[in-house]
Amino acid sequence: MMQRLGARAGANRRQGPGPGRGGTSRSDLSPRDAWLLRWRGHSLLLPRRSLLGLAWLLLGLVVVFIASLSIGSMPLAPQRVIAALFGSGDPLDIYLVRELRLGRLGAALASGAGFALSGCLLQTLTRNRLAMPDIIGINNGATAFAVASIVALPMSFAPPMLALVGAVTATALTFALAGGVGVRGYRFIIVGVGIGAVFGALTNLMLARTSIDAANAAFPWTVGSLNGSGAGAQIMLWIGLAVCLPLAMASTRGLSSLRFAEPVALGWGVRVARLRLFALALAVICAALAVAVAGPVGMIALIGPELARRLSSHRSVPVLNAALAGAMLMALADLLGRTLLAPVEVPVGIVTALVGGPYLIWILLRGDSPRAL
Amino acid sequence: MRFTRGLGFSLLALGVALCASLALGAGDVTPLQVLRWVLGDDDGNAGFVVTELRLPRSCVGIVVGAALGVAGNLLQTVTRNPLAEPDLLGVSAASTTAVVIAILLGASVTTLQVWVAVLGAMCGCALVLAAARLRGVGDDPIRLILAGAALKGVLTALVSLVLLLDQRSADEIRFWTIGALAGRGYQELLGVAAPLLLGVLLVAFLSRPLAALALGERVASGLGHRPRLTRWLTLLAVALLSGVAVALAGPIAFFGLVVPVLARALVGPDIRRTLPLCVLLGPAVLLAADVVARLLVRPSELPLGVVTAVIGAPVLVAVVRAHRLPRL
Repeated sequence: MMQRLGARAGANRRQGPGPGRGGTSRSDLSPRDAWLLRWRGHSLLLPRRSLLGLAWLLLGLVVVFIASLSIGSMPLAPQRVIAALFGSGDPLDIYLVRELRLGRLGAALASGAGFALSGCLLQTLTRNRLAMPDIIGINNGATAFAVASIVALPMSFAPPMLALVGAVTATALTFALAGGVGVRGYRFIIVGVGIGAVFGALTNLMLARTSIDAANAAFPWTVGSLNGSGAGAQIMLWIGLAVCLPLAMASTRGLSSLRFAEPVALGWGVRVARLRLFALALAVICAALAVAVAGPVGMIALIGPELARRLSSHRSVPVLNAALAGAMLMALADLLGRTLLAPVEVPVGIVTALVGGPYLIWILLRGDSPRAL
Repeated sequence: MRFTRGLGFSLLALGVALCASLALGAGDVTPLQVLRWVLGDDDGNAGFVVTELRLPRSCVGIVVGAALGVAGNLLQTVTRNPLAEPDLLGVSAASTTAVVIAILLGASVTTLQVWVAVLGAMCGCALVLAAARLRGVGDDPIRLILAGAALKGVLTALVSLVLLLDQRSADEIRFWTIGALAGRGYQELLGVAAPLLLGVLLVAFLSRPLAALALGERVASGLGHRPRLTRWLTLLAVALLSGVAVALAGPIAFFGLVVPVLARALVGPDIRRTLPLCVLLGPAVLLAADVVARLLVRPSELPLGVVTAVIGAPVLVAVVRAHRLPRL
């Protein structure tokens, strides 16, 4: 029985050698909402909706990218931005765009992608739409350790490394105390809320006990800001994304089986326990590196995957789309924070909390939807 | 019998905590000196420290602890949710935000503050009730907590925004937003007397209807109570009490969760028994936490909210891990 189930699940994907050769064609066996791509006996099934979603996200990303580079204390016309990007044009423009604005935008894009990827994995893992690194304490753990490295310890420890350690500590604690992910992940989430509160209290404690100057220096960072992100942390985040995103994409099929009851996934030959641990590790690494760059920015991990899910076919876990949506949203939030109250710069974490919090409450009050991922 | 024993235990705990709070401190007046002063040896230094510093602080602790313990118990009963607590549900955060905005608008730390805090807590309570009654979210303890966490996130962001925009108020607000008893005295207690009294009166009248409500809405109506009115009045009482606590000590995490859990463990779930116990146990736990906060990092002090968060998180985990969430 199990084997037949598995064979049928595979049959959807593996098409036998068909009449069409090269190019795209649709056979009767292919699902309706997908394009079938064949080339010399190899075939690839491309889900139409997800690809359209990907196209929309890329378009949005380009728009936000250009807008974010052109808007600022010294506005630039988009064509001058594009020229400066490719190295031609006014030297001042090139300096402004490439040296000043591009770095910050890169931090925004990378951290947004990291948070959203982490949220997407956690939500799949716990089968709960509300699981995200800031609610289950990963962000607070990473922040507490990173702030400790700024405020309490000698500077020789790099904040990004300690953020990673803190995130792993918080997750391990939550995982151990909740006794696994549990049914629908609710217990995991509530225990995470508790652990997060403890780490938040410790962060506050460290900030309250240091000198006012140090606290003021660390304060914008603790609410989530792209202002002081170092180049080293950003490079580590990009490397982490370059490793984690392909890994997550490669395990999409296994991940999507986690949405079913465990016996079903086991019957398909998915090693559930190992896959869970793997996905959890990816989620923690992404969230921790993102915190190291941007501080504990919340809600991107909720809204990014949500947007991606809207734009994707519901068969698969939209890993890539979630990362892109997160990057776009983060850049947008940073742009808003920089421009809305302009000379004062509102940290991106405050913008996302003020926008995302009501959205989260709305999801919760809307009724039974949080149960259905 | 069980109730008498629980009452006796709580009284004992409160007595011990009060003695510890008076005898121990961050400064260099030792318990022995305090004892000698009590026995009549005229030690000016110890006398000053006890009567001028530790006694007022302990009084504030007693009021805050009792108010938060009772508010937590009421909130858990009325939402029928063992995890409900003023801080987790965002009621304290709403109250804090209101005070921070008042400070920003120019109000100084005076008697006005407590009413602002109560007003903010009322808004928070109304939101909680709306959330709990809307489409049965109240039946799901954990979704209510998540809604509270989201509300808290939004309000914390607002406070951060205020701190960022106004550096002048920042230092005044920052220590206070963590939750602390230091530097409060009789003056502040006098300021909160009116709302505190009002809250206590409400609670006194509410315990019987609430006990009936615990049997279910229909039974309560059958017994001649009016569930809707009871619920609203209870939330008013919660707002008054948690507003008082916030005005005195800032938001104190997890506290309203710990005390009712203890009380129920001692005397069972009947609210007519747990309420008086919360009045005694709340101050006992708070004073104990405050003593720990004073002693742990001598000669300076920990903020109280940090200690209660560290105490409360294991209780939260234990409640969640309990095989079946206790029905209220």
